[in-house]
Amino acid sequence: MTVDFLFDFLSELLSDLIGSGPVLIISMLIPCLMLFGFITIYALIVIYAELKVSSFIQDKVGPMGQGVGLHAGKWGLLQPIADALKLLLKEDIIPSSADRPLFILAPFMIFIGAFISFVALPFGESIIVADLNIGLFYILGVGSIAVLSLILAGWSSNNKWSLYGGMRSAAQIVSYEIPAGLSLIVVIMLAGTLNMQDIIRYQMGGMFSWILFDNPFVPIAFVVYFISAIAETNRTPFDLPESESELVAGFATEYSGMRYAFFFLSEYANMFVVSAVAAACFLGGWHSPISGFMDSPAWGVFWMISKTFFLIFIMIWLRWTLPRLRVDQLMNVCWKVFLPVALINIFGVAIWTVVFNQ
Amino acid sequence: MGVVHGQEMVLNIGPQHPATHGVLRLQVKTDGEIISEITPYMGYLHRCFEKHCENVTYEQVIPFTDRCDYLASMTMNFGYVVAMEQLMEIKVNDRVEYIRVIMAELQRIASHLLGIGAFGLDLGAFTPFLHMLRDRERILDIFEMTCGARLLYNYMWVGGLSHDLPTGFVEATLNFLDYFEPKVDEFENLLGHNKIFVERTADIGIMPAEVAISYGVTGPNLRGSGVKWDLRIDDPYSIYDRFDFNVPVGKGMKGTVGDCWDRFYVRIHEIRESIKIVRQAIDQLPKEGDVHQAMPKKIRPPKGSIYRRTESPRGDLGYYIESDGSDTPYRVKMRSPAFTALSVLNEIGAGWLMSDVLGILGSLDIVLGEIDR
Amino acid sequence: MSEDKEKIISEAVEKALQGDMDTINNIEDRVTRSKAKAALVKAKRAKVVSDEDSTKEDNASESKVEEKINFNQTLCKKISEKFSDSIDGDQNNDWIQLKPENWLKIAKWLKSDEELFFDSLQCNTGMDLGEGVLESRYNLHSMKHLHKVEIRIKVSAEKPDIPSVEQVWRVADWFERETYDMFGINFIGHRDLRRILLPDDWEGWPLRKDYEEQETYHGIIVPKVKEGWE
Repeated sequence: MTVDFLFDFLSELLSDLIGSGPVLIISMLIPCLMLFGFITIYALIVIYAELKVSSFIQDKVGPMGQGVGLHAGKWGLLQPIADALKLLLKEDIIPSSADRPLFILAPFMIFIGAFISFVALPFGESIIVADLNIGLFYILGVGSIAVLSLILAGWSSNNKWSLYGGMRSAAQIVSYEIPAGLSLIVVIMLAGTLNMQDIIRYQMGGMFSWILFDNPFVPIAFVVYFISAIAETNRTPFDLPESESELVAGFATEYSGMRYAFFFLSEYANMFVVSAVAAACFLGGWHSPISGFMDSPAWGVFWMISKTFFLIFIMIWLRWTLPRLRVDQLMNVCWKVFLPVALINIFGVAIWTVVFNQ
Repeated sequence: MGVVHGQEMVLNIGPQHPATHGVLRLQVKTDGEIISEITPYMGYLHRCFEKHCENVTYEQVIPFTDRCDYLASMTMNFGYVVAMEQLMEIKVNDRVEYIRVIMAELQRIASHLLGIGAFGLDLGAFTPFLHMLRDRERILDIFEMTCGARLLYNYMWVGGLSHDLPTGFVEATLNFLDYFEPKVDEFENLLGHNKIFVERTADIGIMPAEVAISYGVTGPNLRGSGVKWDLRIDDPYSIYDRFDFNVPVGKGMKGTVGDCWDRFYVRIHEIRESIKIVRQAIDQLPKEGDVHQAMPKKIRPPKGSIYRRTESPRGDLGYYIESDGSDTPYRVKMRSPAFTALSVLNEIGAGWLMSDVLGILGSLDIVLGEIDR
Repeated sequence: MSEDKEKIISEAVEKALQGDMDTINNIEDRVTRSKAKAALVKAKRAKVVSDEDSTKEDNASESKVEEKINFNQTLCKKISEKFSDSIDGDQNNDWIQLKPENWLKIAKWLKSDEELFFDSLQCNTGMDLGEGVLESRYNLHSMKHLHKVEIRIKVSAEKPDIPSVEQVWRVADWFERETYDMFGINFIGHRDLRRILLPDDWEGWPLRKDYEEQETYHGIIVPKVKEGWE
């Protein structure tokens, strides 16, 4: 349900009663609230998944409970809810020498940055909150709000460690947006449009009509995009800004309670956004891998979400396996390795397409 | 050369910090990310070990020595007991010697596992740490079976041991070794040959051999710099001359000799050598012998002093014991290997980036309990 | 068996081992007397076994001890030839007692001389010998020639000045700081002599035998040694 669809639907019903202004507002609010609810539920699921997946990798059991009483629920399913409640009930401490307005503003900004990218994500055939003509471009653009808010968080905490974290993360995100964007140009070239739904419709058919298999250069673009995306969301091996063993908690050292929760909620939300973009652009979006099998609009949501979750699982897997890169090595990899590879890729795809006329 | 120098910032790492292996405060002067000087401040864990020793009897010193390096208590006991037995000229029987060697080598494996795991944890590799801890738990189970304690054993007494081996000890140890030996290869591959780990540790924190000897660094840190010096072979004590094992030395396989990767390499290979020693010791273990046989009723050493070193997992641990003929020591000084290892941090750590300094600290494998005593 | 009887048996066995059989034979209780005789046999057997082993090792360790004594004496002579008036008091077979004045020069020579080459300072111990005399003991070792020596320097507690050797062996930097911290020995020429294990504003030198803890430290009461502590 796009906002347009809802607007038309509701204005038929209610425009005589309220007038089209409030109807517009209602038709915008409802999908946003649904999206917000989706993000909350998704956050609970992904926190649980991270705990359990990491436990299996580390040969532990993870949160487990017996099912009744005050334990963490059967198989630890209540653990994320317990975590959320704990963060809500924590005392909100603002250091007296911190810059109050900026300190309070930073977590909100970062969440806003993550949330508004959700608005252009396609979940199904006609299930997208705002079917923008420049959907992909928009998502890449608003993803940069995170940079600003991380610098604000680091600076306003009035803490040298946070400053380190903020500076490092700003440099990292800004640098890694470039290879990510260049890899997405490959997709735009092949699909010929920036509209998210049209990119997915271009990949209609079975698995082998996905953009990933279009061209031998595209898998390289996919890998470059995926790794740059991990760097953008500050996950290990690129989690220097929040590296636990070095900088305590990096830019978020002075935050407690719900403010801290916002930072990490937005990290998970960012993970979803970049995985969803990768799934939509490279892996066929809401099409099923075998055309005709489970291919109705309702199943589309299932395919989209499962592809996204698969990529999120790979991100979690990488976090718990690899050590982290140092700041200068990180920058090295971005500017000296990914950028040339992404540029050469564009040329490669273009030449291939022209030569083989696909 | 056109390097822009900003204002120097003075930063405190610790005392409460996830990466400093204990309660240690490092005051660093940084210029941006590059660190120009590191000053360690310690003493947060000072428990007046040496003053206590002057007020208790010789046997009562042994639990104190446990608590100094709590991650390698068996070897702490071993060092003290070897020094005391040389002072009092007591000779223990073979069974005691073999059991002591088995315990010390198992303790060396456990301590190295923790040291390497914590090193990986400092660099961001969360999983190998937990895998190593899982295997270390099995060693601690073996210790618990023998003397009832998992961390602070008070096991080696002057002239013997506190308990003999329980039944089932030999099987349990051999089972553990069979299970554990392939895991060492797994750890070496997972952590040691991982490209990111190699890039973070090779050519970082290079410690030349002369610097190491001058600063009194010993043990795996010294061997990582290419010096082949192991007290078990070069200054032998107990029955180490009956075993056949190699001494791994850093060769600069991934970078320069004496970098962090070499120290890691030496520790992983020492685990393998210890496994060899334990297997040989269990083969040769005499079945008969009373572990309490040579224990004197009252420990009253003759007047005099002694300084004796033994090889603990962190380096050479020395005890300087001065006795005045009564049953409480006049002075016990413990020369701890981690103390000298920490002193070299400024020399090898200055000039690197912040994340490197924590990696270098992790590669030195220090335990604050031993430094502060 | 009661404690008295154990005591009687052990005393009797000890005396018998030294050759006096009367004490055992004079024990009145028959049971105790037989137990004492059994213990004597066991002790004699153990002594025989250990005697056999120890004779071999005694020879070996005796020759080692002789080597060490010779080395100590030659070193002592060398030092007194090169640096006059440095040996303090009578010589001993286990250590070399030096006067504090020339210590830095001697240390440099010990490290750089080709035959001696003491390139590692293993341990530096401070010692309070009572009656206002402090001592600093250095255990030196050569990684090249594998010989070792112990050097002791005595100073009085009123003016405890010893030249610092941290320029020669860098490990002495922290070792001397610790000795200063615990005993108050002032190392002249040390570039950064301050407390290392205790806070910088602690008063007193803890490991001296006449040390009294201060009453309070920054307002926290310092507990004295508790009674009955053993």
